[in-house]
Amino acid sequence: MNNVSREAYLVTPLHASRFTLMYKLILATRYLLKRRITYFAVLAVALCVFIVVVVMTVMAGLVGDFKQKNHDFTGDCVVGSESLVGFPYYEDYVDMLEASEFVEGVSEVIRSYGLLSPQGRDLTRGVEIMGLDPARHSRATGFGDTLHHRRDDAAKAFVPSYDPNLPGCVLGIDLALQRDSNSRYAYDSSPSRIGFSISCFPLTARGALAGAGTALANTKTFYYSDHSHSGLARVDDSIIYLPFDEAQALCGMSGQTKRINAIHIKFKPDVKLKTGCEEARRLWSIFKSEKANESQAYLLNTVTVQDWKLYGRALIAAMEKEQMIMGVMFGFVGIVTVFIVLVVFYMLISHKSKDIGVLRSIGVSGFDIVELFGGFALAVGLAGSCLGVLGGWQFLLRINSIERWLFEHFEFQVWDRTMFAIGDIPSEISPRVLAVIVFSAIAACLIGALVPSWQAARLKPVETLQVNQL
Amino acid sequence: MLKLFLWLRYLRKRRIVFLSITAVALSVSLLMVIASGFTGFIKAYKQIAVDFVGDIVLQPPKKFPNYPVLLDRLEQLGAVEAAEATLSGQGVLYLGKGNVRAVHIQGIDLARAAKVTAFKSSLLRQKDSPEEPSFRTPADPNVVTGFVGIAVVREPDEETDEYDFEAVEEIVGKSVVLTTGSVIEQKESSSPPGETQFRRRTLQFTVADIVFTGFYQVDKNYIFLPIERLQNTLYPEQEPVAELIQIKLSLGADVESARTQIRGVWQEFVDDELGGDRYLKEFVDIETAVEMQSQYVEEIRKQMGLLLLIIGVVSASVVVLVSCIFYMIVTTKRRDIAVIKSCGTASASVCWIFVGFGGCVGIIGSGIGVVLGCIITENVNGIERWISVVSGLKLWKSSVYMFSRIPNEVNWFWVLPIVGSAIAAAAVGALIPAIVAARTKPVEILRYE
Repeated sequence: MNNVSREAYLVTPLHASRFTLMYKLILATRYLLKRRITYFAVLAVALCVFIVVVVMTVMAGLVGDFKQKNHDFTGDCVVGSESLVGFPYYEDYVDMLEASEFVEGVSEVIRSYGLLSPQGRDLTRGVEIMGLDPARHSRATGFGDTLHHRRDDAAKAFVPSYDPNLPGCVLGIDLALQRDSNSRYAYDSSPSRIGFSISCFPLTARGALAGAGTALANTKTFYYSDHSHSGLARVDDSIIYLPFDEAQALCGMSGQTKRINAIHIKFKPDVKLKTGCEEARRLWSIFKSEKANESQAYLLNTVTVQDWKLYGRALIAAMEKEQMIMGVMFGFVGIVTVFIVLVVFYMLISHKSKDIGVLRSIGVSGFDIVELFGGFALAVGLAGSCLGVLGGWQFLLRINSIERWLFEHFEFQVWDRTMFAIGDIPSEISPRVLAVIVFSAIAACLIGALVPSWQAARLKPVETLQVNQL
Repeated sequence: MLKLFLWLRYLRKRRIVFLSITAVALSVSLLMVIASGFTGFIKAYKQIAVDFVGDIVLQPPKKFPNYPVLLDRLEQLGAVEAAEATLSGQGVLYLGKGNVRAVHIQGIDLARAAKVTAFKSSLLRQKDSPEEPSFRTPADPNVVTGFVGIAVVREPDEETDEYDFEAVEEIVGKSVVLTTGSVIEQKESSSPPGETQFRRRTLQFTVADIVFTGFYQVDKNYIFLPIERLQNTLYPEQEPVAELIQIKLSLGADVESARTQIRGVWQEFVDDELGGDRYLKEFVDIETAVEMQSQYVEEIRKQMGLLLLIIGVVSASVVVLVSCIFYMIVTTKRRDIAVIKSCGTASASVCWIFVGFGGCVGIIGSGIGVVLGCIITENVNGIERWISVVSGLKLWKSSVYMFSRIPNEVNWFWVLPIVGSAIAAAAVGALIPAIVAARTKPVEILRYE
């Protein structure tokens, strides 16, 4: 006892901290490697991490892809009205935007509903009409990249290659082409000459039907010039794109005071989304006050300035919620992993009470004991996470080939591609998702180890080192 | 007796066992809620198909005339209770200032529809009326009327997902304008023979009632008109045509036999009334409403299977948990085991004590899990509403998940395999510690030193 006291007296604080670090490291590593019961905890963590990495990567990929496609379709910001009547005097606001330094592209858009009927077929269906200038719209959104035949020259999107004099239209790809079981479309080498009659209601600035008592609806035939594949099912299945002027006339918005439904804006690369939207909003306020005395100024009150996330919130939020619910479900199941870690640590500590007694007898504090087992829990969490991530990564690398194999041999697909507009299963691991999963796994281990560590810290050397205990 | 005594003692004294019970309960309840949610959704989806189109649908490849004759013949079959013809089209509906919607138009014979489908129960104003539903308005029986889907008139509230019924009903009695059209053959001499042209048709009608099926796709997209009115609008120069025959079978009728009889009646009808058109005879689809939804239902079932598999695999770590806990009990209770064995108990009996105890843990955990799962499933709409009120997060929206309410019926068919698996998992988890216990040698444990 005397020797121990003298040595302890001679140890400097630096030596003491090195000693503390060393025994914590050595013991944590020793328990991890030598106590086979620990493998159960590591395996449980690895299994949980593996499943969560795979599922959340796929979900995050789907959600991220969906958001990106929405962003590409919308642009950065939309100034628009939900009413089909639209709003007037937009030319001045567009001039203001184009003169500003934060805007890269601006596109005026007409949106309405119409009736589509292919010539020669006994078929009609309701569609959404989107009137736009393809060159301007491609600068403001990703529209140009969604085209097939005119991808390199979006300005000619509405020029049918078989007869440039005919008025062209771009169909959402699901209106134009069939999709096979692998979600691949039967692309045409050049657009076929097909005419589509489009009928829609022309509305007055007051929202009434223009030309009441006469035909009530406008009809014009357009010819298939290209198709657009945005990757958004509700867009590709229901929208027909028409030349801006034609759509404006069809919808009764091309009178003396022209109207539109929305302006899509793309900000310059160095402009943050929030800043850009605030600036667009500020310009809109100025513009609105300038037009306050105009005859149709009341229509400007229906206009909102929204960033792309807010504009598509109904659908984006639904997918994000599903991702969150999945996370919560894994959280519940993860409780079992916490229990496993708790039991393993409880067993370990009950078997290693003598080690703890010895440590405590040479002056190691209760807090250090908690730290020791905390470090051990960290090691278990890290080892389990590494194994799980590695397994998940390898599985994700092969997930599409596994699915293809399953489809070839058992006709099994995770998603029936004839029903869902999903291509390959997303397999790119997001560092953010990974960080959250690994952090959660380690946190679960630490929580599981907390109670047993606390009990270990409260062990009294005089009880654990009694001769009858030894 | 001894086993029961020891099980109860370990349950009382070894509180760590409650961890495994909790884990089993948690896994069982989660799997149960998922399975019940999905199967409830599938059931509701199938039911809405039957409610909306009847038991069997006869769909020829093209529109056909003289359908009243076919309906009469079908209704003479013992297996058929009622039949109705429908005609459909697409259109755009002008509801008021700036309010234009793309809609699916369904032409129906309301009296027959009430017999074949559950259409009457979805009419907001007429569902409780003892009389047969009607398109007529009390104000003017001769005026053209129609029904409009509730979400065509007004979307549900963004936050609560509830409809404002008072605001919706304001449209009843008001006039709306429908633009639709049909394809006609060109009559001009300058046109090439066989060339067709789309002809636009406009119909003004008064909204007589609101359709609220609870199925968003129908509520959002459909309007209903008398079939004769739609025929006159779309094909004014032709004799009345139908597109689809919806059939309700008699109670207890065999579906396959009814299908054969219906096919026979159809072929006879084509021979007698449609000049034996082979195209109509051979390419007719006679499907049950459930079969029509089978592709989507299969997809949902597949998603459910995948989700259950994923959660099931993670839940399988319950085996590890039970194993660890039981191993701990076995190592700390070696003296008890040695005493039991020294009294002559066989190793197999000792093994059975722990496997049985594992099974007990599984049964208790599953029991709690089932109760928890039932409570959650049956109150899922209230829980969802509560989350919405507390956090402002609306998890379920009819516009996304089709139905206005979350299916809340417990599926006992799935509960049995889930409970069975949980008990088996707990017993398997107890197996290794039980073997360790069985191999305990009393002579080594009970030595004085």
